[in-house]
Amino acid sequence: MENLEKIILSLAPDAKIEENTQRFTATIAPEKLRKVAEGLKAKGFDYLMCLTGMDYKDSLGVIYHIAPSNDEANVIVLKTSTPDRETPNLPTVSDLWEIAYFYEREVYDFYGIIFTNHPDMRRLFLREDWKGFPFRKDYDANPALNPIPEKVPSVESFENVPTYSIDKDGKLVKKEYPLFSKDEYVVNFGPQHPSTHGVLHLRISLEGEIIKHIDPHFGYIHRGVEKMCESMTYPQMLYLTERLDYLCGTMNRHALCACIEKAAGIEVPARAQYVRTIIDELTRIASHLIGWACMCNDMGSITAFIYGMRDREKIMDIYEETAGGRLMVNYYVIGGLAADIHPNFQNRVKEFIPYMRKMIKEYHVLFTGNPIAYGRMKNIGILSKEKAVALGVTGPSGRASGWACDVRKIEPYAAYDKVNFEEVLHQEGGTFDRYMIRLEEIEQSLRIIEQLIDNIPDGDFKAKVPAIVKIPAGEYYQRVENARGDFSIYINSTGDKNPYRVKFRSPCLSLITALCPLCDKEKIADLIMISGSMDYVIPCVDR
Amino acid sequence: MEERSVGMEVKDIKIRNMKTEDFNDNEYLEKYIAELRQSGMNVVTEKLDDVINWGRSNSVWPFTFATSCCGIEFMCVAAARNDFARFGWEVTRNSPRQADVIFVSGTIVYKMAPVLKRLYDQMAEPKYVIAIGSCSISGGPFIDSYHVVKGVDQIIPVDVYVPGCPPRPEAMLYGMMQLQRKIKLENFFKLPKKPTVTADGNTEGGNK
Amino acid sequence: MSSGEIFIVVFITAIILVSAALVIAMLISPRSTNEQKGEPYECGIPTRGTSWMQFKIGYYLFAILFLMFDVETVLLFPWAVIMKSLGVMGLCSVLFFLFILVLGLAYAWKKGALEWK
Repeated sequence: MENLEKIILSLAPDAKIEENTQRFTATIAPEKLRKVAEGLKAKGFDYLMCLTGMDYKDSLGVIYHIAPSNDEANVIVLKTSTPDRETPNLPTVSDLWEIAYFYEREVYDFYGIIFTNHPDMRRLFLREDWKGFPFRKDYDANPALNPIPEKVPSVESFENVPTYSIDKDGKLVKKEYPLFSKDEYVVNFGPQHPSTHGVLHLRISLEGEIIKHIDPHFGYIHRGVEKMCESMTYPQMLYLTERLDYLCGTMNRHALCACIEKAAGIEVPARAQYVRTIIDELTRIASHLIGWACMCNDMGSITAFIYGMRDREKIMDIYEETAGGRLMVNYYVIGGLAADIHPNFQNRVKEFIPYMRKMIKEYHVLFTGNPIAYGRMKNIGILSKEKAVALGVTGPSGRASGWACDVRKIEPYAAYDKVNFEEVLHQEGGTFDRYMIRLEEIEQSLRIIEQLIDNIPDGDFKAKVPAIVKIPAGEYYQRVENARGDFSIYINSTGDKNPYRVKFRSPCLSLITALCPLCDKEKIADLIMISGSMDYVIPCVDR
Repeated sequence: MEERSVGMEVKDIKIRNMKTEDFNDNEYLEKYIAELRQSGMNVVTEKLDDVINWGRSNSVWPFTFATSCCGIEFMCVAAARNDFARFGWEVTRNSPRQADVIFVSGTIVYKMAPVLKRLYDQMAEPKYVIAIGSCSISGGPFIDSYHVVKGVDQIIPVDVYVPGCPPRPEAMLYGMMQLQRKIKLENFFKLPKKPTVTADGNTEGGNK
Repeated sequence: MSSGEIFIVVFITAIILVSAALVIAMLISPRSTNEQKGEPYECGIPTRGTSWMQFKIGYYLFAILFLMFDVETVLLFPWAVIMKSLGVMGLCSVLFFLFILVLGLAYAWKKGALEWK
């Protein structure tokens, strides 16, 4: 912590360091932002985890979470704000951290903060003609202002890109330029497409079969979850997390429960920790199975899809017996579990482990050695480690590029510090590596479950929690290793029973932004395989 | 108006050997028949209609459309354990022009609504809509959101609603069987003009 | 019936069945048109620009190669049916025909026409 303090004070002597926070937090003036950001990047802080917009009622601000990629537990939280609510503007950091290109567009979309010198200051989720900035505290939610559109907006509204800069008089100047030239052939890889794994709209500029440029459009499943959380109590927020990234719903819910428990000082009994870990690992297996199944389905192998879904049904049977839900398990609550595990739970899980090991061998025989699969996956979409860090690509896709970013090893939570497992790393970063790493991670998850399933401690399954859960004022964080990457939660509380601001860091946004540089000069058929290997889920991006 | 059957009765509509009395909401079916007769549409039970409707209801091809979580349960219905191929529905078409039914699974938001309307308009008649999950019935858990359409029947006419969050695959199969019963009741030769959505959100005309 | 007559019966039956299917479908199908039905489908979003534009020459090359080898296959079928009655002489002439086409394939392979550029 002292090291971080020295770094910040050397770059910005008038920074205000906050006391008693979970992470090292410093507030700086907006004029110093560029200098501090460049200084931090030069000192090796190359992983921009998250950019959160904030409305402090009298000012609008942004919170940056930055960490070095080789020491991720050392996170700096930088805060800055501007009192101008009419045309708030801050300098961009998208030339230092590539992922900021999309993060800053998101903050502009929700708060209206303009980032000067950002190359593309369009909204990210909402339509260009949306009136108002939804996450501001004085937002007018009158449905008459923004009615349901009758027709899909014309293509021109997708193409003129504004950028802002400050001229020598200190005024904000807006320039527009077209994203695609008139004679480029632009195809809609649309919201409704079987290979997009959700509603993702990519506008792809093609030259024959070769991709020149990809322009992603999000927001086709933007439900405003973060804004809804501000009007809900803490127990009510839990069910929304499972609907964010529905394939690893239990892990998201675990993150929110752990964040609230840490903040409120609730001690979760060991029995609940163990069961949460086991169910999280089962969810990871289920998610990797469906990722593998859909990727093979996109390549044309429907048999692989049926096999993957068949084995996933076995996991859902286990969930259904214990918790009652198949996809939305609804099992974790603040303080522990909703009910004790079913007496049959341990036996069923113990039966599942050798069955799954046998099936993985079958998958390798069925698919991995297939020359067509090999030819379509090998040497396609190589993502280098530096690019992965700059884009914030965590999870199996980041580990396939050689970046050791497993949150279970960096900041262990639940029962992960009690188990032995390997963090699988590959060095090449191609589509084939991302494919193999998922199957290898299933094996590691089975190892974790094996070590825990016979040792579940007896005791309570839930701690005593007050009827109305209130968190003391402050800021709280929790990171969890989702099946797709680093899923973080930030809660800003004022001591009330509703949070002031909740932010979910989506691992899938980085995965999609990685498509743009990866698919440059690849054929459009390779785009399908690359996006299948990235395995993103769109509602997690759009929240 | 020629009607072979007397009063409200229609021949026993069996779907996969499940008789009419085994379904849970036959009152809905009887009301539906009464409304169709009132609006001037025949509910005919003659042989040719029977044969054509048998063929049509047993090969309704879904449109691959899934926005969020309910889409995964849709994939489970398509997979091996709950298999909708045994109903004849297996061929999911990606192009709306070749599809018969659109399973609206997942939340529809303001940005997606015109896209869904456009896709629905591009489907060829006769077409049906099954609204899966509470998000497409009424906005579901996201009803307080500023960006979620409160029910997909505000934009397209819906034939069957399948509640749940997400509904189990068995529930979706039941919804499909209900749609098959509706199809079997139609008078194929007098299929009505394009159905429309009226201002208060109710559907009017067409495949109600 | 001689094989010629069988052929004519099969041919006429094929024509009758196909046209019956089309005509009946045209007569009894429900009709409804709207503006969107006439527009091209591109995943729900209106298309951009015109389709009549310069396209890559690689597509033309692939089409020509495909056409050539497809015609070769079609020409092989009648030979395959009466292969036995033609004997060794027939085999030799067909092998000569194949050899010329294999030369063409080898040339295309060597020149890199089979890769997409």
